[in-house]
Amino acid sequence: MGRKRIRMAAVAACTMFLFAGVALAADIKVGHLADLTGPTSSVGNPYAKGVQDYKNYVNAHGGINGKQIDMQMFDYAYDKNKAVNQYKKYLEEKVIAIQGWGTGDTEALTGFLAADKIPYLSASYSPNLTDPKEAPYNFFIAADYTTQLRAGLKYIKDNWKEKRAPKLVFIYPNHPYGIAPIKGGKAYAKELGFLGFEELGDEEVGLKAIEANSQMLSVKNKGADFGWIGGTTPSAAVIIKDAKKLGLKTKFLVNVWGNDEDLIKIAGDAADGVLGLQAAAVYGDKVPGMKLIQEVTKNEHQNTHYIRGWVSMMVLCEALKIADKKGQLNGPGVKDALETLKDFDTGGLTSKITFTPTDHRPNMSAKIYEYQKGKLVYKTTIELPRKAEWLGL
Amino acid sequence: MHYCGDFRTTYRKDMEIFQTPFIKVCMAVFLVFLLVLPVLKLKGEYLLKGEYLWILLQILIASIGAVGINILTGYTGQISLGQGAFLGVGAYTSAYVTAKMGLSFWVGIPAAGLVTALAGMVFGIPSLRLKGLYLAIATLASQFILEWIFVRWESVTGGSHGITIPRPSIAGHTFSTDRSYYYIVLAVAIVMILFAANLMRTRTGRAFMAVRDHYISAEIMGIHLFKYRLLSFGISSFYAGVAGALFGHSLKYVTSEQFNIEVSIVYLAMIIIGGLGSIIGSIFGAVFMILLPKLLSVVTEMVSADIPSIARLAISFEHGIFGLIIILFLIFEPDGLAHRWKMVKAYWKLYPFSY
Repeated sequence: MGRKRIRMAAVAACTMFLFAGVALAADIKVGHLADLTGPTSSVGNPYAKGVQDYKNYVNAHGGINGKQIDMQMFDYAYDKNKAVNQYKKYLEEKVIAIQGWGTGDTEALTGFLAADKIPYLSASYSPNLTDPKEAPYNFFIAADYTTQLRAGLKYIKDNWKEKRAPKLVFIYPNHPYGIAPIKGGKAYAKELGFLGFEELGDEEVGLKAIEANSQMLSVKNKGADFGWIGGTTPSAAVIIKDAKKLGLKTKFLVNVWGNDEDLIKIAGDAADGVLGLQAAAVYGDKVPGMKLIQEVTKNEHQNTHYIRGWVSMMVLCEALKIADKKGQLNGPGVKDALETLKDFDTGGLTSKITFTPTDHRPNMSAKIYEYQKGKLVYKTTIELPRKAEWLGL
Repeated sequence: MHYCGDFRTTYRKDMEIFQTPFIKVCMAVFLVFLLVLPVLKLKGEYLLKGEYLWILLQILIASIGAVGINILTGYTGQISLGQGAFLGVGAYTSAYVTAKMGLSFWVGIPAAGLVTALAGMVFGIPSLRLKGLYLAIATLASQFILEWIFVRWESVTGGSHGITIPRPSIAGHTFSTDRSYYYIVLAVAIVMILFAANLMRTRTGRAFMAVRDHYISAEIMGIHLFKYRLLSFGISSFYAGVAGALFGHSLKYVTSEQFNIEVSIVYLAMIIIGGLGSIIGSIFGAVFMILLPKLLSVVTEMVSADIPSIARLAISFEHGIFGLIIILFLIFEPDGLAHRWKMVKAYWKLYPFSY
């Protein structure tokens, strides 16, 4: 009897192993490039954590129709050569999609993605990535930089009470990330009736700037009412601190990578009154999707970028589910699945997301937050029309 | 290797680039090795694939660029901090010629070389008056000016969007895989490196070295300083342009981010580590600078797999260790890898009876 039972147990164990083996073989391989130790690590860490946390949550709750997601994070430290090397490794491992990161890796890989048919969800929201004619395998979950800038300008204009036209100045780094939205933004600013930005000229503040006195002095002399800051959080903090020091009355509008909780830490009360563009809710906002995040993170406050990482993975998982149901778990299958998403609800974490084969703009809205006494206070969400001529610009 | 009693009886023999049968055999074996390396198979799978094939490809491209900057800095003694931007000029030229004008890759590569040579000569004009560190700063300026042009001249460079460019094709066959593209790069690299090695044995090459060693003496000997300095800038930039174009086509995409000041510094580091004024040193340097980060990350991955608690720390240390290795190198091998290579050869030449 005893021996028989042991044998049965052994057989059971063997079958379990076999099944485990099968389950492993059916894992869904996904790549994840992150910057944990490089120059963008301060925002790269929370974003990557959001991506990984959602994956872990999905894997712990049934996976993708029963299949586990095998997504190994690679820290490429914002070194584009490392990113390409790792990409080649992912190709070998036959990943079917990649969660990417910034301008550096996304641009370095753009040439490959379409040829290799690998969908790539980036945290670089460059407008040129939204045109499937140019970048058919690139996706992201926030409105592109230009759309966000347009939304911010519209908010300012809507709330402008004086009779004269508002004066605007553009402050940004001489970097693809900073320059990308300027052309489209200026055209829209002109349409809205902003003044000043054409005659007065732009100000350049580098991403690694440690002071911006001369630029802020120039902004002061121009008498700009509003300033667009198109850098990252450290450089945005430098700008608003120096502006306060010089007694500027200019109100700043900061793009999505230039404002988060760190801005309060670095700039202190200089941040008061600054307008921040956000593509996702801020931790603790009362939206349905936040409950799960708070549960997973045990109520520990997470940086705003965490939420976009979370949503990015949420969108990818949804696409994986659709692709899996169709039996198309491969690069083109996931791309097609992403392009079927229509008004995908992220539980209020971001605006609803839609991709079509001819338009990869996830949505046309941006959330406006104002920094008040060390807190991010939600103002409103601006919706813009999905104009065809704005695609890719 | 030379053997006892090896002497030459004709000038022709004395001027051969590969002087002994042994060297000739070695070079032939090495060439065959380079040719078969990407197609070697082990148990039905390619020995080199994905990442490692890509690294090999990048080493070849970097070798061309490193030889280029060595001609200027190592042989002519003109420090350049603009190599990264010159690579960019080449990449953008070839991108413009192939993607926007629709011409073939085979037009794009020489065009890239020529346009970059011209750009290099323009930015080399200050070399008439400036030397050493001052010239370094002047070339640094060229780096920033060119970078600015890359981002701002939208109609040509695509501005912040960059340009998507095709891989080359011959008679309908496109070299779309890294494996097939490797052979094109290899062919170009061999031609260009051999040309450089030969150039240094000509009147022009010797003039370069004379300018480097003592420019006043060189001028008194009748070497037109300005002409040769400018020529050196031109030839060096030609190499940079070709390397940049090959790099652009390998990535299939050109954007200004790929050609920043860091690239210039890496190239300068390549020739300092490899050996200034040495063709083979440039190649050693390229191999070293591209392989070392990979080796380091392999080691840190292994360490962090064993001891997960220090994984993050190990990755952060990677850059520090990289710097440390370079410093140690400069202390213990100031003449570069090329010199060490010579010492190794000398050792084996007399083995076991060295005196």
